[in-house]
Amino acid sequence: MTAIRRVLFNLFAWTVVLAVAFPLFWMIVTSVKPQSELFRRPPTFLPETVTFEHYWTLLTRTGFLDYFRNSVILSVATTLTVVAIATLGAYSLVRFRYRGRESLAFLVLFTYLLPSVVLIIPLYLMLVTLGVSNTIFSLVIAYTTFALPYALWLLRSFMAGIPEDLESAALVDGASRMGAFRDIILPQLLPGIISTALFTFILSWNEYLYALVLVNSDAARPLTTGVMSMLISAFNIEWSLLMAASVMMSVPLIVAFAFLQSYLTSGFGAGGVKG
Amino acid sequence: MADVEFRKVRKAWGAVVAVDDLDLAIEAGEFVSLLGPSGCGKTTTLRMLAGLDFPSAGEILIGGRRVNDLPPAQRDIAMVFQSYALYPHMTVAENIAYPLKKRGVPRGERGPRVAKVAEMLQLGPLLDRRPRQLSGGQQQRVALGRALVRDPRVFLLDEPLSNLDAKLRGHMRAELVELHRRLGRTMVYVTHDQLEAMTMSDRIAILEGGRLQQFAPPQAVYAAPANRFVAGFIGTPSMNLIDGELAAGPAGPEFRAPGLALAVGPLAAGTQPGPACLGLRPEHLSFGTGPLAGTVQLVEETGHEAIIAVTLGEGGPRLVGRSPAGLALRVGGQVRLALNGPAAHLFAPGPTGRRLNAPSPSGAVAAAAAGDQP
Ligand SMILES: Nc1ncnc2c1ncn2[C@@H]1O[C@H](COP(=O)(O)OP(=O)(O)O)[C@@H](O)[C@H]1O
Ligand SMILES: [Mg+2]
Repeated sequence: MTAIRRVLFNLFAWTVVLAVAFPLFWMIVTSVKPQSELFRRPPTFLPETVTFEHYWTLLTRTGFLDYFRNSVILSVATTLTVVAIATLGAYSLVRFRYRGRESLAFLVLFTYLLPSVVLIIPLYLMLVTLGVSNTIFSLVIAYTTFALPYALWLLRSFMAGIPEDLESAALVDGASRMGAFRDIILPQLLPGIISTALFTFILSWNEYLYALVLVNSDAARPLTTGVMSMLISAFNIEWSLLMAASVMMSVPLIVAFAFLQSYLTSGFGAGGVKG
Repeated sequence: MADVEFRKVRKAWGAVVAVDDLDLAIEAGEFVSLLGPSGCGKTTTLRMLAGLDFPSAGEILIGGRRVNDLPPAQRDIAMVFQSYALYPHMTVAENIAYPLKKRGVPRGERGPRVAKVAEMLQLGPLLDRRPRQLSGGQQQRVALGRALVRDPRVFLLDEPLSNLDAKLRGHMRAELVELHRRLGRTMVYVTHDQLEAMTMSDRIAILEGGRLQQFAPPQAVYAAPANRFVAGFIGTPSMNLIDGELAAGPAGPEFRAPGLALAVGPLAAGTQPGPACLGLRPEHLSFGTGPLAGTVQLVEETGHEAIIAVTLGEGGPRLVGRSPAGLALRVGGQVRLALNGPAAHLFAPGPTGRRLNAPSPSGAVAAAAAGDQP
């Protein structure tokens, strides 16, 4: 009886895995098929000839690398900004006592109650008034507004897990407040910072809507909107190039994930238990 | 000159008053315990001395210098935390060296000083480990090492032994006393364990509800408690406290309660007849013969002695006494007993009613005497 249950469970699990993995597999396969094989019926599961011409085309004959650079700048800048602000904010929310501390922590989550479509127009108008519209910087500001609240909560629960005595001990041992923060709090907070950074990076790397609305110059476009506008027109979708672009867009995330995966899962764990 | 001084110190968080009107002068080289039940303000007092909390009112002096506005780093103190507060990402050696590093001791000098402390506390083989790889006792010694490495003016210890098992605690008590003797530094030691306070201290400051109840050497605290709270808090089993009436008897003042009348020794000047509380330590009851009769409620044999609880007469007060083992008593049976009247303490009514006995109490030294006739 238990054997059957186990088999059924395994079957179910593998079905789910396959359902998730197949599109990824198909993406890679499509990106290396020659044009001639692309629409053949019945489709070939494994390509008969493997070609990297689409990748080559993408890298040499399109603006892909510019978009890629924009995306890297954008995501790194957003991540640094968000982590810096969230670390200091979380420290304040956990360590200092002031009126409205708890309400403040809840209030920042209100951003998530409103659909982004509602926020995007006022944000756009504000950025125009600031004179930064159509720049990567404007996207950094926009992404910070929606990544920061979650980052703050994530880091807050990590911060709450660091005993206050550690900091007191450092003060007594002769450290200044900043010194204690640097020597004791930051190393303790590292897993939290890494998982927050990863979360923010993924969010900004994959963001589409804000990028579409706030930026319409090629000089500032990130990968998501850039690839779309470049390869998808009303008449035609460049499937091979699109798939090659998708593979290359996923690589940085997959690499980051592979190295930092344990931090990320522990981060979501801590957020879930205490937040 | 006092090494550490609190002057009218008060600490309140909103409506919560943690420490109130605290006056305390600790001499250089003294080992002083802050003793009291949980929540009485011991940790707050220590943290104010360390500079981690700031008094709402009053002054704190270390070595004659007012330190109210000085950050912890500039107070020349070291502290051992109840949780040990070892830095988890540093090795034992780095933990112990951290205070030196923060005070600008050159790198070359740190090694020998860490090694010296490690040798004193037998931490040598552990220097490369991280705190989580240590047992509770070892962590405690590392925390101590981090405090000792710098030779500060005052050591602050917040319940450093409370997380250890009973056997290790006894051992560390002796070690700390030895350490204090060797260093000759002022130590302020917070504990809720009266055994620790009684065995280790030069003087004990007993706190309750944020107020200082008594500040005296252990023997004095035991023999002449300043008020009813101290009397009930110090001693195991605790002192018998009987509420009753102080009245003028045929041969001087007399304490009366249901089933009991006891002539009491000289009283403090100005004591008036009226409600009062009699305190009698268990060792000042004697069983077997005597003028009083009681019903045995409970007999606890501890081996070398027996703890006996009796009630006097019908609905009279319940008293606990100790008696040498071997007295055949059975629960529910009758027993004759005597109270050592001259050893009794008298307190004014109320939970912290002050002591009414005359100064220089006879009770502490009085030879056992028969109880007076009712
Ligand atoms: N940071 C704080 N905020 C508010 N109240 C506090 C704070 N720290 C301590 N208290 C209160 O002050 C009182 C004394 O606390 P504490 O000094 O820690 O007692 P002890 O160490 O003797 O157990 C307690 O009633 C406690 O609730
Ligand atoms: Mg405490």
